[in-house]
Amino acid sequence: MTASPAPAVHEAGPTRNVITRHDHRGDTTIAADVAVIGSGAGGATIAAELAEAGFDVVVLEDGSYYQTRDFTADSSAMTRQLYRDGGSTMAIGDPPVFYQEGRAVGGSTVINGGMSWRTPETVLARWDRELGLAGIARELEPYFERVERRIHVAPMDPEAIGNDNLLLKRGADAKGWKIIGNLRNQAHCTGSNRCAFGCPTGAKQSALVSYIPRALHYGARVYADIHVDRVTRRGRRATGVVGTVHGSGHKLTVHAKLVVAACGAIHTPALLVRSGFRSPSGQLGRNLAMHPNVKVVAIFDEDVTGWKGVHQAFQVREFQDQGLLFAAVNLPPALLAMSFPHRGAALGQLMQHYDRMVLAGMLCEDTTTGRIRTIHGRPQAFYQLAGADAANLQRGVVLLSELLFAAGARRIYLPFHRAAELTGPDAARRLLERPIPPRGWEVVSVHLMGTCRMGTDRSAAVTGRFGEVHDAAGLMIADASLFPTPIGVNPMETVMALATRAAGYVIDNAARFLAA
Amino acid sequence: MTRARAYRHSHTARLVLRSLVPVICPPEAIPLGDAIVEHMALTLRAFPAAIRLGFLAGLAGYDLGALPRYRRRARSLRGDRAERYYAAWEASSARLQVTVARVIKQLMSLSCYEQPEMMERVGYRPGPWIAEATRRRLTLHRDDAERQAQQVLAPDPLRPGVRVKQAPA
Repeated sequence: MTASPAPAVHEAGPTRNVITRHDHRGDTTIAADVAVIGSGAGGATIAAELAEAGFDVVVLEDGSYYQTRDFTADSSAMTRQLYRDGGSTMAIGDPPVFYQEGRAVGGSTVINGGMSWRTPETVLARWDRELGLAGIARELEPYFERVERRIHVAPMDPEAIGNDNLLLKRGADAKGWKIIGNLRNQAHCTGSNRCAFGCPTGAKQSALVSYIPRALHYGARVYADIHVDRVTRRGRRATGVVGTVHGSGHKLTVHAKLVVAACGAIHTPALLVRSGFRSPSGQLGRNLAMHPNVKVVAIFDEDVTGWKGVHQAFQVREFQDQGLLFAAVNLPPALLAMSFPHRGAALGQLMQHYDRMVLAGMLCEDTTTGRIRTIHGRPQAFYQLAGADAANLQRGVVLLSELLFAAGARRIYLPFHRAAELTGPDAARRLLERPIPPRGWEVVSVHLMGTCRMGTDRSAAVTGRFGEVHDAAGLMIADASLFPTPIGVNPMETVMALATRAAGYVIDNAARFLAA
Repeated sequence: MTRARAYRHSHTARLVLRSLVPVICPPEAIPLGDAIVEHMALTLRAFPAAIRLGFLAGLAGYDLGALPRYRRRARSLRGDRAERYYAAWEASSARLQVTVARVIKQLMSLSCYEQPEMMERVGYRPGPWIAEATRRRLTLHRDDAERQAQQVLAPDPLRPGVRVKQAPA
């Protein structure tokens, strides 16, 4: 193989070995032991672990490279830069489900809330019992510990907790419901409440400021602004990757002994399909879980100023066994205004109360699944909210409204079409008298899971227990697409733990992987 | 895959959107109409081409749909007539019309409250707050923050003693 000259790299400080679209002068061919596609929770983690172990690692990222200093107060600009398709991605269904994915070096960890929870024991027990992943709980334990140390998982500093979260706690305490302090990957977050737009203080230990610098430090190269066209293969063996540089259209070819797909639950199955890989299990692209989310807006008499203070300091866990989690979140006025049905003078009057609003959201562990179809090489998600999940959301809205009224809310606005505002807990309970059909809901998602489920039975799973794709060689997956079921909590830490475990598997079998 | 040429509003799209500012935005935002419409172009630019085309088709349908009843395009309607026409789409029994009305409303109200004057009006001043939060972290917690930054790079091999290749000299 004749490698063409590598493009220039940034030499200053932590950006050394980050190659962006501006550095390419033509088509480029490089070689590496491992090509990792995606730089989020899974990709950055496995890249750092393998680079430290001495593998020559190249990371390819569709999005651009931004650093902490690039994250500004301009929410709209941040959304355009850091979110795939400017945040307009949508699963087709009735209702459609809008979902958010990060598209930048660091992936969705750059824009998530930083909630860091281990996979619940009940979920791991199910994976163990029903999916052939025997002993997975015990196996993952040391990897969770390692991840938590690396990304500094810790409770919030109490003085950084804002009024919106304190009101949520007040309501939960008044109801006698279980509420816990959130664990987040942060080192002294001081509550800028900008998690969703790139942490401007550097406190959130996203992959961008943890695993990516670590990978670079141990010699990995990160190519930003690369759309991966396909994984190259010889028969069933993956041999590398071909990508296109955004902007210039130059080609980047990577010859690699191991290819790791870590593009997330939407893009990983599409990448495999357009690269010609198939799964005899028939499960490739199936089992998409989304943790449907809805939100309510409560207006209080007192000043809340919810944009000052840490993001989601608490989680209400009272109904976790029924698949429901509640938290207070905050959105800038523009995002809140777009979600209200009001317009004109009515919108202006409502928004005058912005600093007295608490926005509270709920996550529902879904009982149904959708799928990814690959259309002209691009993924399209299809997801139909189940009647049972809509009923659970309806019940959750009532419970959350009761909590907010118990905290002192005066009015509550609801997440479905033409809903009247609520003025008291009785009105909230009356909501249960008539079912709201699935199509009536306004649902979003930030947790995308499944679509390449792992499992030991190759007739029922796309990958083995470490993410190696069944019936392929030199190809692994390290992202949330591996999840056999939804997990009911924020998925980042599970993804990182699975990726760390996968790295251990590759290190233990280095001779086999490097001999390819 | 390369990005398409940056999106700009067509003359027609700009006129239709401009005519909707008094219908969708609060009265105090009406003087900001041109900036709001320009901001919508930035948002649309980030969307995939298919969604953008769908939006523009819906906007064209909205514009032309006024002809049978008002003998004018929507872009020329003002005051009560503009209000009544939009409200008819909002409450239509045709789901497509409801969707078009809702998406226009969502994008326009997003752009409306992205205007600095509107953020100021509701008391949202994230810039100074970010500066204060950053300063507080670096003064109160500098040592811990630096310790974490060092920990990120400190050697901690997943398989101690195993190095598959020698590190480059």
